[in-house]
Amino acid sequence: MRNNKHKKKKLRIMLILLVILIILILIFLFGHRKEKIKHEGRPAGTEQVAGRIAEIKMKPVTLFFLSESDGLLHAEERQIPESDLNGEARAVVEELIKGPQTGLMAVIPENTRLRQLFVTADGLAYVDLSRQVTEANFYGSSGEMAVVYSIVDSLTYNFKSIKKVSLLVEGNERETLGGHVDLSNPFVPDYSLIAR
Amino acid sequence: MECLRTRVRFPPPPPFFYKVELIDKIMSRFIKIFATIAISLILVSAQGFPLKGAQAAAKTIPVIKVTVEDSSQASVVRISGSSNLAYNLKKSSDSLIITFRALSGLKLEKSTFTSQIIKSIDLAKSPEAYLLIIKTGSPDFSFTTSARKNPFELTLNIKLKNVAAAREGQPAETVAKTSPSRNGESSSGASSPPADRVSQEVISGHPRQKDVKTIVIDPGHGGIETGAKGNYGTLEKDVTLAVAKKLKERIEGELKYRVVMTRDSDVVVALDRRAAVANNNKADVFISIHANGSRRTNARGSETYFLSLNATDEEARRLAYFENNSGELENRLGEQDFDDLKLILWDMAQSAYIKQSSLLAEFVQNQLNQFLSTQNRGIKQAPFKVLTGVACPAILVEVAFITNPEEEKKLQSEDFQTQVAEAIYRGLSGYFDLYEKP
Repeated sequence: MRNNKHKKKKLRIMLILLVILIILILIFLFGHRKEKIKHEGRPAGTEQVAGRIAEIKMKPVTLFFLSESDGLLHAEERQIPESDLNGEARAVVEELIKGPQTGLMAVIPENTRLRQLFVTADGLAYVDLSRQVTEANFYGSSGEMAVVYSIVDSLTYNFKSIKKVSLLVEGNERETLGGHVDLSNPFVPDYSLIAR
Repeated sequence: MECLRTRVRFPPPPPFFYKVELIDKIMSRFIKIFATIAISLILVSAQGFPLKGAQAAAKTIPVIKVTVEDSSQASVVRISGSSNLAYNLKKSSDSLIITFRALSGLKLEKSTFTSQIIKSIDLAKSPEAYLLIIKTGSPDFSFTTSARKNPFELTLNIKLKNVAAAREGQPAETVAKTSPSRNGESSSGASSPPADRVSQEVISGHPRQKDVKTIVIDPGHGGIETGAKGNYGTLEKDVTLAVAKKLKERIEGELKYRVVMTRDSDVVVALDRRAAVANNNKADVFISIHANGSRRTNARGSETYFLSLNATDEEARRLAYFENNSGELENRLGEQDFDDLKLILWDMAQSAYIKQSSLLAEFVQNQLNQFLSTQNRGIKQAPFKVLTGVACPAILVEVAFITNPEEEKKLQSEDFQTQVAEAIYRGLSGYFDLYEKP
C-alpha cells in the first residue's frame, strides 16, 4: 500500500516535471528556429541571380522628360535589360541622363554621370550623381524642379518598391543643386509636374 | 545546451532507493534528471532577462520644482530638485535652456505664475538629456545664477536689458513714425541681433515695436552663387538684389513697416542663415526674390511659391532620429545632441505657417498679374530650402525667366524692376490689411 502510494506520488511529480520540461524545450527550440531562418535568408537570393544569366530579357520602362511646349514632364517608353532592382534603377537614371529619343528635352545637365545607385530595404533609393549636375545656367526654381522630379518620378513610377529618392552629389549630401530645392530630405514623388 | 548537460552532476542515489523495485528506481532517477535539467533551464532562461524592472523601481524619478517670482525689475526663477542634478545652462536667443543629462527620467512640477519677463517654462526631452526651456519675451535679457548642492537648487535672476526702453517706446510710437532722425538713434540699440548670430543683415526704418511689422526681404543667391544665367549674361543674383533694394525703398517710403534685408551687397549668404535673419528679427513676413530659369528658352511668366511639406515624412524622420539615438544614451556627453534637437525643431518652423504663406502668395501673385506684362504661372508649392526654417509666413517670388531672352531684357530694365517692387509691395499691404482690419 505504502509503496503503491509512493509510486503514484512519484508518477504525478514526474508528469508535472515532464510537462514543464517539454514546454521549456519547445520554447528553446522555437527561439533557435527563428534565428536559423534569418541566416538561411541569404543564399536564396544568390540562386535567383544565378538563374538570370542564361537569358537577357528586356523590360519596358517609362521615363519622364521635359516638354518644350508646356514645361511639364512627359512620358517616354524605353526598353532596358531585366536585372535586379538596383541594376534596373541604375539603367533608368542612365537613360534619363542620355536624354530623350522623341521630341522631348533632356533635363539633367550634360556630362553628368551616375556614380552610384542603391535601394535600401525600406525603399529609399540613393542616387549619387557627379558634380556636373550642379553646373547649369538654367538652375532657376523651374529648372531645378525638373531635374529633381524627372529622376524622382521616373524611379518611383517604374519601381513599386522605391518609395523615396535621395539625391547625392559626388557621394555627399548637398543642400541644393543650385540654391532652391532642398536635397536634405528624401523626395516622395510629385506627379503634379507630369502632363496628363 | 550540450555543455549545460555535461555540467550537471548526479549524486549517488541514497540507499533508500535500492530497496524498491527496478522500475521505481529508474523512475526516481528520471525524476532527478528531469528536475536538474528543468532547474538549470529555468536558471538559464532567467539569466536572459536582466532585472530591468527591479533596477528601474529602485531608482526613483527625480523631480524638479520650479517657482517664479517677479520683482519690479527682474524675475527670479528657483529650480529645486529632490536629488543632486548635473546641469548645463545655455542662452539661446529669447530662451534660457538648462540641460540635465544622463537621467532615466525627470518630472517637472511648476506652480502657475504670472511674470512680465518669463513667458513659459517647459520640459522637453532629447534622446540624451532633458531640457528645461525658460522662454522670455525678448532676446535682450541678462541673467545671474546661483546654485546650491545637496539638495539641488538653482536660482536664476533674469533681467530685461531694455526694460526702460520698452516702456518709453510705446507712447513714443507716433513720433517714431514721422521723425526719421529719432528712428536712427533708437533702432541701433533696440534691434541689434543676438551676439551668437552675427550676420550682414541690414536693419533700417523703425525701432522694433509691437505694432510695427517687420518684413524680411531675401534677394536670392549672391557672391559666387550666381543663380541662373541669361543668354545675354544677366545674372540672377544681380536682378534679385536690384528688385529687393527697390522693394525696400518702396516699403520704407510709406513709413509703415520695418525692413530687414538678408543681404544688401553681392555676397554669399547661406540658406539657413537667411531664415535665421528672419527669425532673429521676429519677422512678420519673409519674401525671397528670385528670377526663374529653365532649360526651355521659351519658358516665360511669373509665379509665387510657398513651401510644400510632406508632413508624414517629416514625422517619420523625427521618429527615426529618436529611435536611432536612444541606444547609445547614457555615456555620450557633449553639445551635439542639443544642436541636433534644435535643428529638428528649426526644420519644422515653416510648417506652422503654411496656410498664411499660401494666402500671402495669393496676394502677391494677384498683384504681379496686374502690374506686370508677364504670363501668370500661378501659385505653386515646392520644397525650397530657404523657406523651411522661417518661422513666419514666407514666400518665394519667381519673377519672369532670365533664361528667356525676351524676359531677360525686361529683368534688366529699371522700369520693370520698379514695377515688380510695386506689385510685391501692394500684395504685401493687401495681406497686412486683411489682418489689421478689426
